[in-house]
Order: sequence, then structure tokens, then C-alpha cells
Amino acid sequence: MTTHFAEVLARESACLAGVTDRAKLADWRRRVVEELMTPSSPYVSALHQPDDLRARAAFLDQWRELIAEAVDRLLRPGPGPTGDRRGMPDQPCGADADAQKIAVLILAALQGGSTLSRIARDPRPLNAALDLAFVPFTATEGNLPDGERSAR
Amino acid sequence: MTTADSQNGKRLTARGAKTRARIVDAAADLMYVKGVGTTTLDDVLAASGVSKSQLYHHFEGKDALVRAVVDHVGERVIERERRALGRVSTIRGLRRWRDALVQNSALQHGAYGCALGSLAGEVSDHDALARHTLSRLFTEWQGLLSGVLRRLQDRGVLPAEAPIDQLATGLMAALQGGYLLAQTARDVTPMATSIDMALAHIESLSAG
Repeated sequence: MTTHFAEVLARESACLAGVTDRAKLADWRRRVVEELMTPSSPYVSALHQPDDLRARAAFLDQWRELIAEAVDRLLRPGPGPTGDRRGMPDQPCGADADAQKIAVLILAALQGGSTLSRIARDPRPLNAALDLAFVPFTATEGNLPDGERSAR
Repeated sequence: MTTADSQNGKRLTARGAKTRARIVDAAADLMYVKGVGTTTLDDVLAASGVSKSQLYHHFEGKDALVRAVVDHVGERVIERERRALGRVSTIRGLRRWRDALVQNSALQHGAYGCALGSLAGEVSDHDALARHTLSRLFTEWQGLLSGVLRRLQDRGVLPAEAPIDQLATGLMAALQGGYLLAQTARDVTPMATSIDMALAHIESLSAG
């Protein structure tokens, strides 16, 4: 696998494993936005360099799965990060359907948001994209998401 | 259609305009299917059937041609979106807009993506002029989505404090990212999921 794919996956697998609450999710997001706004970052090559389609598809699948597991952990009510997963013996790392769908939107937000941010040379579109994707984690009853959408 | 050339101070005869349009059409099709980077001027010559001297009469090089393609594709996409979104004022109407885009993409198994988005992915780095034009076009497109969300807000479907322009940007990013995921997967499903989730998140703001 091409090096920038491998490097991003190694970093993401370490970082996302540590996402056990909303504050850590916000930290993860801040870090990824920073990477995507740095032209020389392997994250930018991984998402925006024309590459072998199959390698790229495998990379996106694996990243989405890592995001889905983190999302699943945060959405799952219960004792916490060490939540009991014995109920799903056939899917040792299978996040549930809602978490999978949110992960698709988060990945699309990273991909589409960074495209818009690159042509605008402005991180705001990417942040707006992530605000919308993170609504389940920021909206509490009657409250609108107030993430970092206005952060420059 | 003749703006770029009139900016260069050239006056086009009807036949010249036709030739120029033929070149731009062929280049737009090639760049959509093959990508901007891998499309050569020789490809464009072969596909349009014009001569090399005709091509260089209208465009001094590939960058100039790419800019003309951006203008042409942008005009077409904005026109299509204005027709699709200009009067939408319901979530249901937004879903119909989503259905049309997803179904069009499904016809090609998602393979080619958004005509404007693919250009954005490829030209943004090395051509500031094309990048500015693309940025302006996306702002215009997002403005159409903002219009829809504002009408939803006026009707009380979205709360008064909803950040309309940012939601529109988020929806555009979900659409563009969805296109790119579908393109990579050669399957339209992630595009459908991405827009559906974005719309569901927007709708959930009204439930508060």
C-alpha cells in the first residue's frame, strides 16, 4: 500500500482508539482539520492525490471502519469505554448500522469539506462540514451545534 | 460563451465561436471522464476534430483551456441547480433534489462524480485563477442551498437560530464528499448515505 495511506491509517488507528468521550472526539477532529489544512501532510495526499483506485478504496474503507468504531463507542449507552461487546460474537469489530452511517458522513465531510476548503484557502467549509456531521454529538435537547464552526 | 475571448480582445465570428465551443465541449467531456491531469491537448484535438492551429488560435495553452472548461461546466451546473433548487421550500423537495443527483450518478455506478467537484479536486493547486472561479461557483451553488434552508426557516421548519449558511456549506460538503466516495467505490451507496445523513441531521435541528 502506498506510504501516505499506510501512514494515515497507522496514525488514525492509534488516535481513534483513544477517542472515548466527546472531548476526545473534538481533539481528534481539531487534529485532522489541522492536517488537512497543511498542504504537505500525508492526509492531503491520501485524500486528494490521484492514485490507484483499488488502494484508495481499501484505505477509505479502513479509515471509515476506524471512525465507525469510535462513533459506536460514543453512541453506545452503558458502562463506558470497556463496554461489553459479547452480544455480537460474529462481528468482533463491527460498529452498528447508525454508527456506520455517521462514519460515512464524517468521511464524506472530511473529503468534501477539505476540497471546498482547499479552493477557498479557508478552513471554515471543512469545519462547517464537520459541524453538520457531528450533530449527534453536539446537539442536546433544544440546542444547536456550536462546535468550532466559526473558528478560523 | 464568448466571454473569455472577448476578454482577450478577440472578436469571434459565428464560425469561430462554434469552433471554440466544440473545443470546450470536447475538453469538458474528456476531463470529466479521464481527469484534467491526464487529458492532453492531443486528446482534445482528436476528440473535437479541429486543427492544431485552430485550437491555438482560441487557447494559448492547456491552462487557458482548463479555465474555459471551468466556466462552461460551472455555467451548466449552476443553471441545472437553479432549476432544481430555486423554488424548493420543503424537506421533501430537498429529498427530490437528492434523488435526482443520486440517480444520475447511479447510471454511471458513481464512476465520474460531480462535474464541478472533479475540476475542484484537480485544478485547485496550480492555477489560482481557476481556483478563484471554482470558489465563486461553489459559493453560488451553496447560496442556492442557503435559499432553500432559509425558506424552510421562514416556514418554521428550521429554528430561527439555525446557522443557515453553515448548514448549506455542510450539505454541499456532504454532497461533494459523497460523490468522491462513490467514485472510489464505483458504487453510489456512500453518496446516498452521506446526503441522507446530512439531511437527517438538518431535520433533527427542527425537533429540538
